[in-house]
Amino acid sequence: MKKISRRGFIKTGAAGAGMLAISPSVFSAGSGKQESSIVHRTLGRTGLKVPVVSFGVMRSDNPGLCKAAYEKGITLFDTANGYQGGNNETMLGNLFKEYPRTSFILATKIKPGQDREGKPARDATPENFLSMFNTSLSRLQMDYVDILYVHDISNPELLDYKPVINTVQKLKKDGKARFIGFSTHRNEPQVISAAADSGIWDVILTQYNYRYAAMDEINRAIKKAAGAGIGIVAMKTLAGGGFLDRERTKPMNTSAALKWVLSNPDVHTTIPGMTSFEQLEANEKLLTDISLTEQEKSDLVAMLGEPGLSCSGCTRCVSSCTYALPVLDLMRAYMYAYGYSNPAMAKTLLGELGITGDPCSNCNACSINCPRGFNVREKIADISRLSSVPSEFLA
Amino acid sequence: MIRKAFLAGILFSVLSGSSAAQEITWPVVSGFKLITKYPVYTPDNLWDFINGAADGYNALGFQDLHVAEYKKGKDVIKLEIYRHSDHTMAFGIYASERSSSFRFMNLGAQGYKTGGSVNFFTGNHYVKIRTHSEKAKTLHAAESLAMRVADMLGGDNKMPELLTEFPDDGRKVNEETFINENVLGHQFLNKAFRASYGPDNDNFDIYLLKPGTEQEAFAAAEKYLSTAGIEPDRKEEGKYVFTDGYNGTIFLSWKDNMIVIISGLAKDQTDLADQYTSAILD
Repeated sequence: MKKISRRGFIKTGAAGAGMLAISPSVFSAGSGKQESSIVHRTLGRTGLKVPVVSFGVMRSDNPGLCKAAYEKGITLFDTANGYQGGNNETMLGNLFKEYPRTSFILATKIKPGQDREGKPARDATPENFLSMFNTSLSRLQMDYVDILYVHDISNPELLDYKPVINTVQKLKKDGKARFIGFSTHRNEPQVISAAADSGIWDVILTQYNYRYAAMDEINRAIKKAAGAGIGIVAMKTLAGGGFLDRERTKPMNTSAALKWVLSNPDVHTTIPGMTSFEQLEANEKLLTDISLTEQEKSDLVAMLGEPGLSCSGCTRCVSSCTYALPVLDLMRAYMYAYGYSNPAMAKTLLGELGITGDPCSNCNACSINCPRGFNVREKIADISRLSSVPSEFLA
Repeated sequence: MIRKAFLAGILFSVLSGSSAAQEITWPVVSGFKLITKYPVYTPDNLWDFINGAADGYNALGFQDLHVAEYKKGKDVIKLEIYRHSDHTMAFGIYASERSSSFRFMNLGAQGYKTGGSVNFFTGNHYVKIRTHSEKAKTLHAAESLAMRVADMLGGDNKMPELLTEFPDDGRKVNEETFINENVLGHQFLNKAFRASYGPDNDNFDIYLLKPGTEQEAFAAAEKYLSTAGIEPDRKEEGKYVFTDGYNGTIFLSWKDNMIVIISGLAKDQTDLADQYTSAILD
């Protein structure tokens, strides 16, 4: 160790001031201090009373932040076997071993092996699933989890995959998981609707936000699932992480976005990710007030007017193109080239579509009015140039 | 000539820029069939591949991900190559997923194996290789693949230099991390290396921040102190102990462009805090 200086620390007498300046309530709060004023909803047939704002822990490695959230009345903490290589669960386990087990709700997720299409892979076996689950319990230092999600069921085929379904049902029967559910990341309306018919699932964790493309479909699916007694937890509620652009120059009104989600009474709680006390304090306000102000409504309208980052696949362009071009596929080719930086894949797709030049060149005006504000004609003209580039240049 | 210029232009427009794809030449693994049907994932769609964990990767400068599978009968080895914006960020994501209980290997800048996984980082890359197979031959193939990928990627194969500033006494080995934003949950503190210590039953963390300039270091320290109602009397250096309402007792020191924060000690442990702080700053 290097030379040690004898210069001491300045001991400030302003500790109390420090507490007041940073956190007026946390030390005096205790768990559930605001219990009476916090808006709770019942998580479907689980009967769990959950605050409308819960904690998506995935990015947080700060137990102090989770502790502060707990003390402010947030009781549902959402993690996963894979987050931070398991360190996320370990952090929560070390924190919550100090608290009464029934004073918080712990949800974790186990992802069975899947192929690229979301179909079960060969390694999606009961043994592998159980091995991962037991590892999670060990990290969490718990005998059971409150909610066990199958992580990422986005293909209805996995929804019926007995080796996994039977395993989670047995874990529930054995008391290792009080309730079982799944998270879904694509094809949400179809998957949620199918799950509502199955009678197996207690909770569904789904993407849901003000920008969701197939809004009518997902609203119907959520209503159906909630009506069937399934608890609905919303994730990706900010539709892209708090900013409206890739350069992070246009911050969104995150409270408005969360309140919009909660304006659907069939959504029982949300799990925004938090890594700072500032974010926690902003979300703390929503615990007791989820009514949208006029300003927030205006902000939502303005936020909807922003183009966003990618094609949402809403299909509205499909019927509006005069020449009936496969616009969605062309936007996908554009994403392959510019989003994935894979022009070869884009060219292959163009070939499959039979595109040999700019298909918009004979059209005087574009009839497509993309709700995301994409200049569709410009993007098609851009990407279609790839069709004339020899493949060897793109390999 | 015109055609050549056009091709050059379109290739440049497609492949250039910070998000341009890395060129990957997948190694051959004897006896295994290589499958590369996955798209190249970018910050916009990483979520499709690793779901909620994507936010953590994106917060650490994730650029793109190439995925390949090697298949032999029922055995599959999956290879994932994550590219981040720089070496520190690659260390950050690697360190966030490692555990000191893993078996560490001399692989890239550092690597380890646990179960059927071999993970390492080198240069700007974080590489994850895993198999569910328990066959010795397949596990050996996964390990050999890791070695070859490490050689193929090259890049800086040392740990971040700032880690050498942390004193060795009582340091928990292989628990160092890098936090890119919201250090200790505060939006005004960014880019810190953290090391955990446990000498003589005292458990505490040391955060080391090295902004580009002395002014930036002082500004960050001043901001933190201001939350406790403290106004520092000197810009060049300072040592303060105060209570952060969320994180408890904080020992905050800075000198030139280096900031040291110690969290986890009690207020009456100033000697210990002083010992470690001075070891870094003096």
